[in-house]
Amino acid sequence: MDEQALGLAFDELRETLGERATRDPTHRLGYSRDWSPRHRSHVDLPDIVVAPKTTAEVVEIVKIAHRHHIPIVPFAGGTGMGGGVAAWKGGIAIETKGLNQILELDEANMMVTVQAGITIWELNETLARSGLWFPHQPESKRVCTIGASIGCDNDSTFGLRYGKILDVLSNVVMVTGEGEAVRFGRRKASFTSSGYKLLDLIVGSEGTLGVVTEATLRVFPLPETRLVRGFVCRSLEDGIRALEHMLATGLGIESAHLNCRQRLHFYTHAYREKYQREPEIPDWAEAILFLSFAGDRDVVDFTLDKATSILLEQFSAEEVREQEMVDGWWASKHSLEFIPFKQKWPDSQRQKKFGAADIGLPIGRVEEAYQRFLEIAAKWDQDILGMTVYNESPNKPTASISFALFVDDSTEQSVANFYNYVREMSAMAVEMEGTMSSYIGDGDRLGGFNELEHGASYSYMRRVKEMFDPAGVFNPGKKFESRWITKP
Amino acid sequence: MDNKALEQYAEEIYTCNRSRCGFCVTDCPVYRVKGFEAYTSRGKMMIARGLLEGLVEPSTEMQGILEGCLLCGYCQARCALTNLEIFTLLRQRLAEQGLSAPEHEEKVAKIVEEGFLFDRPSPIRRDGTVPLYLGCLYQSKPVESRTIISVLERCGLDPLIVDETCCGYFAEATGFGTQFKRIQERFREAYGAQADEEILTLCPTCTVTLREKYGLNVKHAIVAVAERMDQLSPRQLELKATYHDPCHLGRMLGIFEEPRAILRALGVELVEMEHNRFFSTCCGGGGGVADTDPGLALEVAKNRVRDALQVGVENMVTVCPTCEPTLLRGASRLANEADVFVDVRGLWDLLDEALPPTE
Repeated sequence: MDEQALGLAFDELRETLGERATRDPTHRLGYSRDWSPRHRSHVDLPDIVVAPKTTAEVVEIVKIAHRHHIPIVPFAGGTGMGGGVAAWKGGIAIETKGLNQILELDEANMMVTVQAGITIWELNETLARSGLWFPHQPESKRVCTIGASIGCDNDSTFGLRYGKILDVLSNVVMVTGEGEAVRFGRRKASFTSSGYKLLDLIVGSEGTLGVVTEATLRVFPLPETRLVRGFVCRSLEDGIRALEHMLATGLGIESAHLNCRQRLHFYTHAYREKYQREPEIPDWAEAILFLSFAGDRDVVDFTLDKATSILLEQFSAEEVREQEMVDGWWASKHSLEFIPFKQKWPDSQRQKKFGAADIGLPIGRVEEAYQRFLEIAAKWDQDILGMTVYNESPNKPTASISFALFVDDSTEQSVANFYNYVREMSAMAVEMEGTMSSYIGDGDRLGGFNELEHGASYSYMRRVKEMFDPAGVFNPGKKFESRWITKP
Repeated sequence: MDNKALEQYAEEIYTCNRSRCGFCVTDCPVYRVKGFEAYTSRGKMMIARGLLEGLVEPSTEMQGILEGCLLCGYCQARCALTNLEIFTLLRQRLAEQGLSAPEHEEKVAKIVEEGFLFDRPSPIRRDGTVPLYLGCLYQSKPVESRTIISVLERCGLDPLIVDETCCGYFAEATGFGTQFKRIQERFREAYGAQADEEILTLCPTCTVTLREKYGLNVKHAIVAVAERMDQLSPRQLELKATYHDPCHLGRMLGIFEEPRAILRALGVELVEMEHNRFFSTCCGGGGGVADTDPGLALEVAKNRVRDALQVGVENMVTVCPTCEPTLLRGASRLANEADVFVDVRGLWDLLDEALPPTE
């Protein structure tokens, strides 16, 4: 990094933001890593940190960065698992969580316009006072922001009913590489057939096209009742087919997460540890399907009864009797009423950390992929946590899958082995007509290697990047470059 | 100076660093004001790792960040790691290198030399049967102390007040571990035989310190009052109010329901703020922040008062000699800035108002 340019840029940032711009190493350290697996001493220090509060301030920051050719890395919750906020090319980290205001709650049209740094948790706390909620909810929602969800195109617990962020997003204001704040998307209509769908380009762009500062979102009435249940299935395939069947009958299911045998073992062990009782899970159980139902009580009751009869009678599944186990799962997915690092087994990230390949597949390939997962994880000496199939599209089974591991981050080699595992799993996804990433994003993992998936369209992606970001300042080292996974 | 003490916590520090779950971030009262990650729990855990690995050196900027921590324990409530111990250790690590606030140094020196945090300690002494430890703050507020003693008497308690010295919390919290040891020795000498009995306390912070750092059998006096409420006939107060849980009394001692039960017994219509009980947020008076960054303490206090306004209440009640004046300052400033006023009342004052005089 050009020290002189940094110095000049910092002086200008200081003039614009005062003490909300800093070069102090102590502050820079706070933006030096996210949740992605890397060696425990790994660090990516940005050169400058700024904390804007308005779109106008972000415009000034971008202009300054552009003028001095300094990278910009937007930083939100820092819970990404793909290194999307890793400032490995240095530059200016933008702390976006200060952009946290609700600009308009339009209850007549069920829309809310927010500054993009508001966390999903804060937004929902406010909406709840009006009897509303915003259903795009990743597990990281306590600190994950609306902007981060747009940037990463992350997953949602309620994907089966409400889809991903794009399904509930009408428009964004994004500051482009020209230092211009532009609204992309439609105003408050739910669709448009006019023009190009530039909003789609921005979702999942990981800050490589600009900095999203505002968003207009669809909100919904808070459901009166919610019931959560678990069913053990005889195979993964059974779980998927049962869900397909339930939806085909016209049932409305809010969320459905299908877990493999290893994951089931994780839940039964946690139950055993906590309640000192053996759960009554049959030996034949190869999968556990968690479902949630929400709405008016009578409809929810009917839906649950119908879903249960389909699962039990047509797929010989069994309902989990230990509701505490189901509630424990729900706490980890939605209510977040748990204390991180309290659980003892297997190591609760005290020795190792979670890591995942997040591939997406056609639903008919899940069982096959699961078998390959076991082989690939073993090949790279990885400790398996298990597989979860998330449904992330409204009213149809889809396979957004977490193939999760406990990653040993004590040596560079063991971390490298994890990324070898991700590379091989990603290649498998493409081979199976799927996608390398279904909720984490390319981050600093898949750039370049992702050409394998996108083929000839990859060059168009490059041109899109150049159009939005002619100086190449937005989050460099992502999408088109990786430091973990080399090209095929 | 080395990292030895910090190294004992390496596993905890790396556990936080490798996960970054962020449960501690957005509701951290200091982060809400300052807006940089370094002020959050996970930010300070990153600083700890930075020191362990030599990525950063102690500096005045780092000192400012660490001294900006209220030690309120909100992050601790959201996490199974020993955050507060580590933050206290970080302060100690810097203080040992001369990176400490002169305001803190002066106060700690005063405690070491004189045994009290404030000037003019109270001359109150009283013969009685139940030891009552006033603590520095109530020592400096004889009028309030007499009111509390009167309330306790009306509850049928007979407080014994003898010579006492500071518990030393302030010294430990601000990073002066060596001085804290000397203060502890002095306390033990001064408090004598009473230390072997159950001691009633008034200050939540002293209560935590005497219990955890001295191993004494202490009970906050408000608990003793709550135990006797059904034998009393308080006047019913016409008041709609919210109750602010002091961090030390609530989160750290688990005393949530007793003050609420008393308020209900006094006829108070209670409305809960969104952050209450275990997840209550700080008034701004914790961790010695008011000495080094009064502006920060004031903004935190204003945010807590806003929490009351958010649920449509204009009266806050609390039971802590730090929270009450701190919140009152926040309420006053907010009244000037936004033309809304929230009154802050002490629970002891309400009891004084409601309990009939002894015959």
